[in-house]
Amino acid sequence: MSKNILVTGVSRGLGLAIARAVLEAGWSLFGVSRTRSPEFDSLAAAHPGRVHFFAHDLADADGVRTRVFKEFVGLDTPLHGFVNNAAVAYDDLVTNLELERLEAMYAVNVFAPMMATRQAIRNMLLHGGGGSIVHVSSISAHTGYKGLAMYASTKGALEAFSKNTAREWGERGIRSNCVVAGFMETDMSGALGEEQRRRIFERTALKRPVALESVAATCVFLLGGESCSITGQNVVVDSGVF
Amino acid sequence: MSSAPDLLRLVNQVLANKRRPAVARLPSETRLREDLGFDSLDLAELTVRIEEAHGVDVFEKGVLRTAGEIEARLGRAACADARQSED
Repeated sequence: MSKNILVTGVSRGLGLAIARAVLEAGWSLFGVSRTRSPEFDSLAAAHPGRVHFFAHDLADADGVRTRVFKEFVGLDTPLHGFVNNAAVAYDDLVTNLELERLEAMYAVNVFAPMMATRQAIRNMLLHGGGGSIVHVSSISAHTGYKGLAMYASTKGALEAFSKNTAREWGERGIRSNCVVAGFMETDMSGALGEEQRRRIFERTALKRPVALESVAATCVFLLGGESCSITGQNVVVDSGVF
Repeated sequence: MSSAPDLLRLVNQVLANKRRPAVARLPSETRLREDLGFDSLDLAELTVRIEEAHGVDVFEKGVLRTAGEIEARLGRAACADARQSED
Protein backbone atom coordinates (compact mmCIF):
# COMPACT_ATOMS: atom_id res chain seq x y z
CA MET A 1 0.00 0.00 0.00
CA SER A 2 1.25 3.46 -0.82
CA LYS A 3 1.73 5.77 2.11
CA ASN A 4 2.12 9.50 2.61
CA ILE A 5 4.96 10.14 5.04
CA LEU A 6 5.88 13.50 6.58
CA VAL A 7 9.54 13.87 7.51
CA THR A 8 11.14 16.94 9.09
CA GLY A 9 14.72 18.08 8.53
CA VAL A 10 15.07 16.47 5.10
CA SER A 11 17.71 18.70 3.54
CA ARG A 12 20.75 16.84 4.86
CA GLY A 13 22.19 14.27 7.24
CA LEU A 14 19.86 11.72 8.79
CA GLY A 15 16.72 13.44 7.47
CA LEU A 16 17.96 13.08 3.91
CA ALA A 17 18.74 9.40 4.54
CA ILE A 18 15.23 8.86 5.97
CA ALA A 19 13.71 10.67 2.98
CA ARG A 20 15.66 8.38 0.64
CA ALA A 21 14.57 5.25 2.54
CA VAL A 22 10.92 6.36 2.52
CA LEU A 23 11.06 6.82 -1.25
CA GLU A 24 12.86 3.50 -1.78
CA ALA A 25 10.01 1.86 0.17
CA GLY A 26 7.74 3.13 -2.60
CA TRP A 27 5.95 5.73 -0.49
CA SER A 28 5.34 9.43 -1.07
CA LEU A 29 7.43 11.93 0.85
CA PHE A 30 6.25 15.20 2.37
CA GLY A 31 9.51 16.81 3.43
CA VAL A 32 9.93 19.87 5.61
CA SER A 33 13.17 21.78 6.09
CA ARG A 34 14.36 25.33 6.42
CA THR A 35 15.94 25.20 2.97
CA ARG A 36 16.26 22.81 0.05
CA SER A 37 19.69 21.32 -0.51
CA PRO A 38 21.19 20.16 -3.83
CA GLU A 39 21.19 16.60 -2.41
CA PHE A 40 17.46 16.82 -1.74
CA ASP A 41 16.88 18.22 -5.23
CA SER A 42 18.70 15.19 -6.70
CA LEU A 43 16.56 12.84 -4.62
CA ALA A 44 13.39 14.61 -5.77
CA ALA A 45 14.49 14.42 -9.40
CA ALA A 46 15.04 10.66 -9.08
CA HIS A 47 11.48 10.10 -7.77
CA PRO A 48 9.20 12.33 -9.87
CA GLY A 49 5.69 12.81 -8.53
CA ARG A 50 6.40 11.36 -5.11
CA VAL A 51 8.35 14.17 -3.47
CA HIS A 52 6.71 17.23 -1.95
CA PHE A 53 8.66 19.93 -0.14
CA PHE A 54 7.72 22.78 2.19
CA ALA A 55 10.20 25.33 3.54
CA HIS A 56 9.58 26.03 7.21
CA ASP A 57 11.75 26.89 10.18
CA LEU A 58 10.55 24.75 13.09
CA ALA A 59 11.72 27.44 15.50
CA ASP A 60 8.23 28.73 14.69
CA ALA A 61 6.52 25.87 16.53
CA ASP A 62 3.01 27.24 16.13
CA GLY A 63 3.65 27.55 12.40
CA VAL A 64 3.54 23.76 12.27
CA ARG A 65 -0.18 24.03 12.93
CA THR A 66 -0.91 27.18 10.99
CA ARG A 67 1.37 26.60 8.00
CA VAL A 68 2.76 23.05 7.59
CA PHE A 69 -0.57 21.36 8.29
CA LYS A 70 -2.68 23.93 6.45
CA GLU A 71 -0.68 25.01 3.43
CA PHE A 72 1.26 21.77 2.90
CA VAL A 73 -0.40 18.68 4.38
CA GLY A 74 -4.07 19.58 4.55
CA LEU A 75 -6.79 17.40 6.03
CA ASP A 76 -7.61 16.26 2.48
CA THR A 77 -4.22 14.48 2.27
CA PRO A 78 -4.32 11.23 4.27
CA LEU A 79 -1.17 11.02 6.35
CA HIS A 80 0.06 7.54 7.22
CA GLY A 81 3.28 8.35 9.00
CA PHE A 82 5.26 11.16 10.57
CA VAL A 83 9.00 11.10 11.30
CA ASN A 84 10.14 13.80 13.69
CA ASN A 85 13.78 14.09 12.75
CA ALA A 86 14.67 17.80 12.75
CA ALA A 87 16.64 18.93 15.77
CA VAL A 88 19.19 21.48 16.82
CA ALA A 89 21.94 21.06 19.38
CA TYR A 90 22.87 23.49 22.11
CA ASP A 91 25.83 21.91 23.86
CA ASP A 92 27.53 23.39 26.89
CA LEU A 93 28.17 22.79 30.55
CA VAL A 94 25.07 23.10 32.67
CA THR A 95 26.71 25.91 34.64
CA ASN A 96 26.87 27.96 31.42
CA LEU A 97 23.22 27.42 30.53
CA GLU A 98 21.54 30.37 28.81
CA LEU A 99 17.76 30.35 29.01
CA GLU A 100 17.20 31.98 25.63
CA ARG A 101 19.27 29.36 23.80
CA LEU A 102 17.58 26.58 25.80
CA GLU A 103 14.13 27.88 24.84
CA ALA A 104 15.17 28.11 21.19
CA MET A 105 16.30 24.48 21.25
CA TYR A 106 13.11 23.33 22.98
CA ALA A 107 11.03 25.11 20.30
CA VAL A 108 12.61 23.00 17.53
CA ASN A 109 13.28 19.73 19.38
CA VAL A 110 10.18 19.47 21.57
CA PHE A 111 7.42 22.03 20.95
CA ALA A 112 7.35 21.79 17.14
CA PRO A 113 7.29 17.95 17.20
CA MET A 114 4.48 18.03 19.77
CA MET A 115 2.46 20.38 17.58
CA ALA A 116 3.19 18.20 14.55
CA THR A 117 2.06 15.12 16.46
CA ARG A 118 -1.15 16.94 17.44
CA GLN A 119 -1.88 17.69 13.80
CA ALA A 120 -0.74 14.30 12.48
CA ILE A 121 -3.07 12.47 14.88
CA ARG A 122 -5.94 14.75 13.88
CA ASN A 123 -5.28 13.91 10.23
CA MET A 124 -5.08 10.18 10.99
CA LEU A 125 -8.31 10.33 12.99
CA LEU A 126 -10.18 11.93 10.10
CA HIS A 127 -9.07 9.27 7.64
CA GLY A 128 -9.59 6.42 10.09
CA GLY A 129 -6.73 4.24 8.92
CA GLY A 130 -4.42 4.62 11.91
CA GLY A 131 -0.81 5.65 11.43
CA SER A 132 2.70 5.56 12.75
CA ILE A 133 4.68 8.31 14.46
CA VAL A 134 8.44 7.97 14.82
CA HIS A 135 10.55 10.36 16.88
CA VAL A 136 14.30 10.35 16.40
CA SER A 137 15.79 10.35 19.87
CA SER A 138 19.39 10.14 21.03
CA ILE A 139 21.47 7.77 23.08
CA SER A 140 22.52 10.83 25.08
CA ALA A 141 19.15 10.63 26.85
CA HIS A 142 20.26 7.28 28.29
CA THR A 143 24.04 7.52 28.59
CA GLY A 144 25.52 10.67 30.07
CA TYR A 145 27.94 12.78 28.03
CA LYS A 146 29.64 15.91 29.25
CA GLY A 147 28.09 18.99 27.65
CA LEU A 148 24.96 17.27 26.35
CA ALA A 149 22.66 17.63 29.37
CA MET A 150 20.40 20.24 27.79
CA TYR A 151 20.22 18.52 24.40
CA ALA A 152 19.62 15.12 26.03
CA SER A 153 16.78 16.57 28.08
CA THR A 154 14.89 17.44 24.87
CA LYS A 155 15.17 13.82 23.73
CA GLY A 156 14.08 12.53 27.12
CA ALA A 157 11.01 14.74 26.82
CA LEU A 158 10.25 13.27 23.38
CA GLU A 159 10.58 9.71 24.64
CA ALA A 160 8.09 10.36 27.46
CA PHE A 161 5.77 12.13 25.03
CA SER A 162 5.98 9.22 22.58
CA LYS A 163 5.19 6.55 25.15
CA ASN A 164 2.16 8.43 26.44
CA THR A 165 0.96 9.19 22.90
CA ALA A 166 1.16 5.47 22.17
CA ARG A 167 -1.02 4.67 25.19
CA GLU A 168 -3.50 7.44 24.44
CA TRP A 169 -4.11 6.67 20.75
CA GLY A 170 -3.35 2.97 20.44
CA GLU A 171 -7.01 1.98 20.31
CA ARG A 172 -7.37 4.10 17.16
CA GLY A 173 -4.53 2.23 15.47
CA ILE A 174 -2.07 5.09 15.88
CA ARG A 175 1.39 3.94 17.00
CA SER A 176 4.24 6.00 18.39
CA ASN A 177 7.85 4.89 18.79
CA CYS A 178 11.31 6.37 19.15
CA VAL A 179 14.45 5.45 17.29
CA VAL A 180 17.26 6.09 19.75
CA ALA A 181 20.23 6.92 17.57
CA GLY A 182 23.84 6.77 18.67
CA PHE A 183 26.53 9.11 17.39
CA MET A 184 26.53 9.52 13.64
CA GLU A 185 28.89 11.36 11.32
CA THR A 186 26.62 14.32 10.66
CA ASP A 187 26.96 18.09 10.73
CA MET A 188 25.27 18.00 14.12
CA SER A 189 28.07 16.01 15.74
CA GLY A 190 30.61 18.10 13.82
CA ALA A 191 30.93 20.48 16.74
CA LEU A 192 32.66 17.73 18.71
CA GLY A 193 36.44 17.58 18.48
CA GLU A 194 38.23 14.74 16.69
CA GLU A 195 39.51 13.27 19.96
CA GLN A 196 36.07 13.50 21.58
CA ARG A 197 34.51 11.70 18.59
CA ARG A 198 37.17 8.99 18.68
CA ARG A 199 36.51 8.38 22.38
CA ILE A 200 32.75 8.21 21.82
CA PHE A 201 33.14 5.66 19.01
CA GLU A 202 35.62 3.63 21.09
CA ARG A 203 32.91 3.24 23.74
CA THR A 204 30.69 1.31 21.29
CA ALA A 205 30.82 -2.45 20.76
CA LEU A 206 31.21 -1.99 17.00
CA LYS A 207 33.87 0.73 17.43
CA ARG A 208 32.41 2.86 14.69
CA PRO A 209 29.87 5.62 14.11
CA VAL A 210 26.24 4.69 13.66
CA ALA A 211 25.34 4.35 9.96
CA LEU A 212 22.70 6.83 8.83
CA GLU A 213 21.20 4.10 6.64
CA SER A 214 20.72 1.83 9.65
CA VAL A 215 18.78 4.50 11.54
CA ALA A 216 16.77 5.40 8.43
CA ALA A 217 15.88 1.74 7.76
CA THR A 218 14.69 1.39 11.36
CA CYS A 219 12.44 4.41 10.88
CA VAL A 220 10.98 2.85 7.74
CA PHE A 221 10.44 -0.45 9.57
CA LEU A 222 8.51 1.38 12.31
CA LEU A 223 6.45 3.22 9.69
CA GLY A 224 5.50 0.05 7.86
CA GLY A 225 3.02 -2.73 8.46
CA GLU A 226 5.62 -5.23 9.63
CA SER A 227 5.88 -3.28 12.89
CA CYS A 228 2.10 -3.22 13.43
CA SER A 229 2.41 -4.69 16.92
CA ILE A 230 5.15 -2.35 18.09
CA THR A 231 4.20 0.84 19.91
CA GLY A 232 5.43 2.87 22.86
CA GLN A 233 8.96 1.54 22.38
CA ASN A 234 12.46 2.95 22.11
CA VAL A 235 14.42 1.10 19.44
CA VAL A 236 18.13 1.66 20.03
CA VAL A 237 20.47 1.95 17.00
CA ASP A 238 23.78 2.92 18.53
CA SER A 239 26.61 0.58 17.40
CA GLY A 240 26.30 -1.07 20.81
CA VAL A 241 26.58 1.29 23.78
CA PHE A 242 26.17 -0.78 26.97
CA MET B 1 -34.88 23.06 18.26
CA SER B 2 -32.80 20.57 16.26
CA SER B 3 -29.18 20.96 15.19
CA ALA B 4 -28.17 21.34 11.54
CA PRO B 5 -28.21 18.22 9.36
CA ASP B 6 -24.47 18.50 8.81
CA LEU B 7 -23.67 18.08 12.52
CA LEU B 8 -26.00 15.07 12.56
CA ARG B 9 -24.02 13.56 9.68
CA LEU B 10 -20.69 14.13 11.43
CA VAL B 11 -21.94 12.72 14.72
CA ASN B 12 -23.17 9.64 12.90
CA GLN B 13 -19.75 9.16 11.28
CA VAL B 14 -18.19 9.01 14.73
CA LEU B 15 -20.87 6.60 15.91
CA ALA B 16 -20.31 4.42 12.84
CA ASN B 17 -16.60 4.16 13.65
CA LYS B 18 -17.61 2.76 17.02
CA ARG B 19 -20.02 0.38 15.30
CA ARG B 20 -22.90 2.02 17.11
CA PRO B 21 -26.29 2.74 15.51
CA ALA B 22 -26.86 6.12 13.91
CA VAL B 23 -29.22 8.62 15.50
CA ALA B 24 -32.08 10.01 13.41
CA ARG B 25 -32.26 13.39 15.14
CA LEU B 26 -29.92 15.55 17.11
CA PRO B 27 -31.89 17.89 19.37
CA SER B 28 -29.88 20.84 20.68
CA GLU B 29 -29.99 19.54 24.22
CA THR B 30 -28.33 16.22 23.20
CA ARG B 31 -25.39 15.64 25.54
CA LEU B 32 -22.36 14.34 23.70
CA ARG B 33 -21.04 12.15 26.49
CA GLU B 34 -24.13 11.07 28.38
CA ASP B 35 -26.64 10.71 25.51
CA LEU B 36 -24.36 9.71 22.62
CA GLY B 37 -21.80 7.81 24.72
CA PHE B 38 -18.85 9.75 23.31
CA ASP B 39 -15.56 9.43 25.18
CA SER B 40 -12.65 11.89 24.98
CA LEU B 41 -11.20 10.23 21.84
CA ASP B 42 -14.60 10.38 20.11
CA LEU B 43 -14.85 14.07 20.93
CA ALA B 44 -11.39 14.59 19.43
CA GLU B 45 -12.53 12.82 16.26
CA LEU B 46 -15.71 14.91 16.12
CA THR B 47 -13.57 18.05 16.51
CA VAL B 48 -11.50 17.11 13.47
CA ARG B 49 -14.55 16.21 11.39
CA ILE B 50 -16.18 19.56 12.22
CA GLU B 51 -12.91 21.36 11.46
CA GLU B 52 -12.67 19.65 8.08
CA ALA B 53 -16.28 20.51 7.23
CA HIS B 54 -16.42 24.05 8.63
CA GLY B 55 -12.81 25.15 9.14
CA VAL B 56 -13.46 25.81 12.83
CA ASP B 57 -11.89 24.08 15.83
CA VAL B 58 -14.99 24.22 18.03
CA PHE B 59 -13.29 22.82 21.14
CA GLU B 60 -10.32 25.19 20.94
CA LYS B 61 -11.79 27.64 23.45
CA GLY B 62 -13.13 25.13 25.96
CA VAL B 63 -15.18 21.99 26.31
CA LEU B 64 -18.63 21.87 24.77
CA ARG B 65 -21.19 19.52 26.25
CA THR B 66 -24.17 19.57 23.91
CA ALA B 67 -25.03 19.63 20.22
CA GLY B 68 -26.57 23.07 20.71
CA GLU B 69 -23.34 24.46 22.15
CA ILE B 70 -21.45 23.26 19.05
CA GLU B 71 -24.03 24.90 16.79
CA ALA B 72 -23.71 28.13 18.75
CA ARG B 73 -19.92 28.06 18.49
CA LEU B 74 -20.14 27.43 14.73
CA GLY B 75 -22.67 30.25 14.39
CA ARG B 76 -20.39 32.68 16.23
CA ALA B 77 -17.45 31.68 14.02
CA ALA B 78 -19.56 32.26 10.89
CA CYS B 79 -20.57 35.71 12.18
CA ALA B 80 -16.92 36.57 12.88
CA ASP B 81 -16.00 35.52 9.34
CA ALA B 82 -18.77 37.67 7.91
CA ARG B 83 -17.63 40.68 9.95
CA GLN B 84 -14.04 40.19 8.74
CA SER B 85 -15.10 40.08 5.11
CA GLU B 86 -17.12 43.30 5.58
CA ASP B 87 -14.13 45.15 7.11
